[in-house]
Amino acid sequence: MSMFMRYVRIWWMLTVSSFMISLVSRFNAGVFFVGKFLRFLFFLIFLLTVFSRTETLAGYTVNQMVFFYLSFSLVDTIAQLFFREVYRFRSLIVSGDFDFALIKPMNPLLRVLVGGADPLDLGMLPLYIAAVIYTGGRLGDVSWVNVVFYFILLINGLIISTGFHILVLALGILATEVDHAIMIFRDVVSMGRIPMDVYHEPLRTTMTFVIPVGVMMTFPAKALMGLLSPWMVIFSIALGLLFFVLCLKAWHYALFQYSSASS
Amino acid sequence: MHTYLQIIKGTIEEYTTYRVSFILWRVRLVVQLLVVYFMWWAILAGHQELFGYTQGAMLTYVLFSSFVRPFVMGTRTQEVGELIRSGNLSNYLVRPMRFLGFCASRDIADKLLNVIFAVSEIIVLYVLLRPQLFIQTSAVVILLSFVALVMGMVLFFYFSLLISYLGFWTPDVWAPRFLSFVFAEFFTGALFPLDILSAPLYLVSQSLPFYYFIYFPLKVYLGQLSSMAMLQGFLIGIVWTAGLWALERIAWSRGLRAYTAEGK
Repeated sequence: MSMFMRYVRIWWMLTVSSFMISLVSRFNAGVFFVGKFLRFLFFLIFLLTVFSRTETLAGYTVNQMVFFYLSFSLVDTIAQLFFREVYRFRSLIVSGDFDFALIKPMNPLLRVLVGGADPLDLGMLPLYIAAVIYTGGRLGDVSWVNVVFYFILLINGLIISTGFHILVLALGILATEVDHAIMIFRDVVSMGRIPMDVYHEPLRTTMTFVIPVGVMMTFPAKALMGLLSPWMVIFSIALGLLFFVLCLKAWHYALFQYSSASS
Repeated sequence: MHTYLQIIKGTIEEYTTYRVSFILWRVRLVVQLLVVYFMWWAILAGHQELFGYTQGAMLTYVLFSSFVRPFVMGTRTQEVGELIRSGNLSNYLVRPMRFLGFCASRDIADKLLNVIFAVSEIIVLYVLLRPQLFIQTSAVVILLSFVALVMGMVLFFYFSLLISYLGFWTPDVWAPRFLSFVFAEFFTGALFPLDILSAPLYLVSQSLPFYYFIYFPLKVYLGQLSSMAMLQGFLIGIVWTAGLWALERIAWSRGLRAYTAEGK
């Protein structure tokens, strides 16, 4: 427990520093914030445009589709809020400065994974949470069990997202490549802005269970709508945990391959 | 001329030095295409026609937009902002070459690689996905599409340079570029043809330079523009290009006066 609290304190200190750095330039922060909001708004406009000519998409109504997009935005934003440091990992590897993370008496994964939280994403969170509550309330009768499933699967989605980010870090060590890898991850994950049921087979199954984007991004919303059985919820959690463990193993493997070549 | 050819050669070698990075760059472009392609394929399922587009026309638009996008918007000019901010621009100013020529040569190298690989990727994807494609048979329309493509490319080059030149006056060069990415993602028509938008939004898109990056060349190719609309598009595009060129010249000369090589 004391170890856990120690890491929480370290994380808090790193986060405060990161927030201070990000907010040094108010202009920069303001423009980024506006950009993030517009990106959200533009895809929403696109969704509503598509629904202006069609009643349903793969059986989903416009409200349900917006809810899927909001749930996606929520998971995506929380992941970006915590894991922004991953985007800066390449320079640590190329310069050899990763050595400094390794010699400190703490887990290096914590430093490179959550060592640079992004306050701009924190600014977007209240908007998404309010929109999720509002749109969720317009979905019709939602049972408390489904609400609980929704939260459990949101956390499961975050665990899978953590796994993906660890995988990118591992690739960063093995191949000194992070920039394209993280953007590929984001492009692939963006398929989860709409439910996987919309896509054709075999893409649907692949994106749901092999690359678990569906479980990560669309299952929480499906659970709230009562479209997932309890067994599927349990299976999703098991899949999320298995994926996370495999990603951790990939990280440990990569760490053993690190040669500190540039330092 | 020899200098600029060497810059093109050097840039290509730079790309191929980091092979994993290069491969992932190409994978990323294919993934970007597939994400949009599969989304539209799914949306169009069960519809003979949507927003005035048949499945063939829409999938042609999406597939070809993946070729047009890196060709027009593939650039190295984003590095200029960082060169100014770090003071490293000085190293280029003292060299016996025009800086604009240097930037253009780097972009040509980027686009050459993009064209070579994009063509082969699209052929592979075509064989794998077998979409119904609309093939333009009119030589005149193909020629006009090419002209529109070059116009979009020049327009984007000056647009991107102008954003980088903000570095002369502010160290915050990434935030305006991020904002331009967000606008470009929506208003270039990379994700969808702009004419599916509501009339007011479509009107807004027409008044922006982004309209000429991807959407306009593709609409010309698809033969969905009347002669009058095409003429109007080319005229406005030329005005935008001339305007951005003039702005780039002014920003460069004023920027150099403000430049202090701070950081060097």
